[in-house]
Amino acid sequence: MYFIANGFIYRKSNSIIHKLDPRVKLLISIQLFTLALLVSNLYNLAIIFIAISIFSLLGKITKRLLRTMIFATGFSALILIINYFAGYSLVYSIQIALRFIAIVCSTSLFFLVTSPDELEYVLRWFRLPRDLVFAFVTSVRFVPVILMDTLQIIDAQKSRGLELEKGNPIIRIKKFIPILVPLIINEVIRSGELAEAMESRGYGISKNPTSLYSLQLIKQDLIVMFITSISFISIIFFGY
Amino acid sequence: MIEFKQVSYNHPGGTNALDNINLKIKKNSITAIVGNNGAGKTTLVKHINGLLKPSEGEVTIENNSTKKSSVAELSRNVGMVFQNANHQLFADTVKNEILFGLKNFGFDQDYIDERYELMTDLFNLRKYEEISPLKLSGGEKKKVCLASVLAWNPEILILDEPTVGQDELQKNILFEFINTLHSNNKTIIIISHDIEFLWRLQPNIITMSDGRIIEINHPEKIFTDKELMNKVGLIPPQIIKIFNGLGIEKDIPINLEDACKRIQGLMEE
Repeated sequence: MYFIANGFIYRKSNSIIHKLDPRVKLLISIQLFTLALLVSNLYNLAIIFIAISIFSLLGKITKRLLRTMIFATGFSALILIINYFAGYSLVYSIQIALRFIAIVCSTSLFFLVTSPDELEYVLRWFRLPRDLVFAFVTSVRFVPVILMDTLQIIDAQKSRGLELEKGNPIIRIKKFIPILVPLIINEVIRSGELAEAMESRGYGISKNPTSLYSLQLIKQDLIVMFITSISFISIIFFGY
Repeated sequence: MIEFKQVSYNHPGGTNALDNINLKIKKNSITAIVGNNGAGKTTLVKHINGLLKPSEGEVTIENNSTKKSSVAELSRNVGMVFQNANHQLFADTVKNEILFGLKNFGFDQDYIDERYELMTDLFNLRKYEEISPLKLSGGEKKKVCLASVLAWNPEILILDEPTVGQDELQKNILFEFINTLHSNNKTIIIISHDIEFLWRLQPNIITMSDGRIIEINHPEKIFTDKELMNKVGLIPPQIIKIFNGLGIEKDIPINLEDACKRIQGLMEE
């Protein structure tokens, strides 16, 4: 679980990609995502994977993105098998499976290089309701915390003889009750405490609170935006 | 005997959490592990019940390597009570919470009944047996956690920060309880930042920092070593501070009554 989650959790870094404006990072992610949905041949899919590799190398996140890929490969193998047995050609089935990996990687790419704070600025830049943005960003920020809680709970229950790996599928599902109950209760308590802590620090008093930082596109952002947009348009119009 | 032979452990992220640990914990002893946050205390004890397996080296319990056994097999003899009671409690009643481990280990019904009765009496939990453990106070929750682990009578008991969130009364009960277990030939390992509590208990102390063992010694030796205490981010117990202030470095009394008598004697001199 730790292995998989690491493929989606942000870590501070000083790379070129990390330093980009979060709107540019979102744009790159959306472009890759869209291409993965639209392209119809293996040649174009290869271009998407090359682009993802370049961004991950520049962002120094190759190892962690590889974990995302490994995680996605399990599901994509299933997609491949289902498509193949449904009567589609092997090439088409592989294409669909690779598309899935590309979609997951393009999403992961954004979350790996964008801090929850940056995510908040982007969402607020889209003029989304503040409460909604806060709820979404907080839930993203709490992913590593919830993950740690889950691991602690699993350890605590395993120490009392719980063997998650034994038994038939129904028994195995039942064995998750001692993990899910404390996890849900802990998170409900935590969210209540967080709400109280936020309110006691003045959250919600001002309808239009000021922000300490504002998003500003610099030369580097514009260059990256230009290159990626040109490449995106080229593939859309001429690539497939 | 629990033995760590050149044990190193790397977290999945690559961080080195334990670095070449060599350690022997004798049977029927009380051992405390102290150190600053992130020193590797919890990582170390998780190797005893097999929750973590060493990246290098070997951990043995009575000469049996933990690598060969599952967590469930090891937990039969190594009970571990975690710091946060809320990470453990899930059952609808205190009774079912206590029975959880006993049922997992597959004991026969007579033994389960016998141990359950013993635990509810020992921890004074009879009045709560049909209540949800989640509705109890922090101290009572800790008691339920302890009862649910001791229920299957493990030979080794690991307590992770047992005094956190406990009032003085609860700490006194815990103190008596640990001594009772010790006199019943149990091996007890405690992770704690509560130096005052450890001074009263007088266990063997293992000090840790950055995944390494710095020193193993008796409390007086450890707590009077100012350099060591600074290194592991701890403050000596009040009694030691007072007696050090009076220029006394050795044979420092353990409890307050003895300390008062000693100070009285010094004043008379």
